[in-house]
Amino acid sequence: MRNVGGARRGLNFWLLQRASAVAMAIFLPLFLGLALSRSPLDYAAWRALFSHLAMKIGSLMFIAAVLAHAWIGLREILIDYVHPLAIRLPLYFLFATLYLVCLVWAADILWGLG
Amino acid sequence: MARLRLRIYRYDPESGAAPVMRDYELEIDPRGRMVLDALLALKELDDSLAFRRSCREGVCGSDGMNINGVNALACVTPLEGLRQPIEIRPLPRLPVVRDLIVDMSQFFQHYRAVKPYLINLDPEPENERPQSAAERAELDGLWECILCGCCTTACPSFWWNPDRFLGPAALLQACRFITDSRDQATDERLDYLEDRYRLFRCHGIMNCVEVCPKGLNPTAAIGKIKKLLVKRAL
Repeated sequence: MRNVGGARRGLNFWLLQRASAVAMAIFLPLFLGLALSRSPLDYAAWRALFSHLAMKIGSLMFIAAVLAHAWIGLREILIDYVHPLAIRLPLYFLFATLYLVCLVWAADILWGLG
Repeated sequence: MARLRLRIYRYDPESGAAPVMRDYELEIDPRGRMVLDALLALKELDDSLAFRRSCREGVCGSDGMNINGVNALACVTPLEGLRQPIEIRPLPRLPVVRDLIVDMSQFFQHYRAVKPYLINLDPEPENERPQSAAERAELDGLWECILCGCCTTACPSFWWNPDRFLGPAALLQACRFITDSRDQATDERLDYLEDRYRLFRCHGIMNCVEVCPKGLNPTAAIGKIKKLLVKRAL
C-alpha cells in the first residue's frame, strides 16, 4: 500500500511534550520546597498541605502534565517500534484508557481529602 | 612495516552464500595513512573486494562505511589509533549491493523529496540573485553536506522507519533551502515537513552530529525547522 503522510501533523504533540516538561520542572521544586518547609512533616501536616484548593489544582495539573508527557512518549515508542496497526491501535486505546483512569482517580483522591 | 589486521564484511549476491566477516592481514605502515589506503592495498591482493571511492579526500562522499562500529568516510579516517582487527561493514540499514557497496536509493529519494533546489518565481535576473554577506552566512553549516549518508544510516529513527522518516541528511538540506534568503517556497516546504513521520520521528538522539565527517549539526538544523513551525503555528 502507498505510504500516506498527513501535512500539519505532529507539531501539537511535540509542543505539548515540551510544555508538560516545563510544567513539571516548575511544579516539582516548588512542591518539594513547600513540603520540606513544613516541620515536622507528619500525617497531619501532609494532609493540611493538600487542603488548600490551590494545592489541589496545582497537583492535578502536575499529574495531567505527567500523564500527557507519558502518553506522547509512549505514542512515539509505539510509532517507532510497533508497526502493525492491529497491534498498535489496541495499545493506543489501552494506554489512553489507563492514563485517563489515572487522571480521574487522582482527582478523586485529591478532592476526597475534604 | 606493521601487520594490520582487518575484518571485512563480504557479500556476493551472485554466489548465493550468506554474508560473512572475512579476516585479512596486510603489510602496511599505518602512519599518516587512512582506512581507504588499506582497502586499496587489500584490493591489490583480492580484487573481488568491492567498495566505492572517488576523490580520496573527503569531498565526494562515496566511501561512507561502518568502521569499528562508527559510520565514517574511509578516506579521512586515520588507520592509527583504530582498534584491531579493524571491522569494516557497509552503512547500516540500507540494502547491500555487494561487499561494502549499499543501495542508496532510499536515501536519495528522501533527498529529492525535500526539493533540494531554489524555488523562486521572480523573473530570471540577468546575472545572479544577490545575497547580503549576512544572508549568505546563514547558510554556513548547511551547504557543506556531501550526502555521504553517514548520518542518516547512523540514526535509529531512520532504522525503525526508513521509508517514512526523511533522515538527518535530507532534513539538513530542507533547512538549507528554508534558510536561503532567495527561496520563496518556505511555506510549502514547511507544509511537507510538518508530519509525524517525515520530521517528528527525530528524537534528538544526535548520532548524526557524532558521525558527520564534515562536522555539521543536522540536529540543530532540525531544531531550526521545528522553531519555524512553532513560529508559524502561533
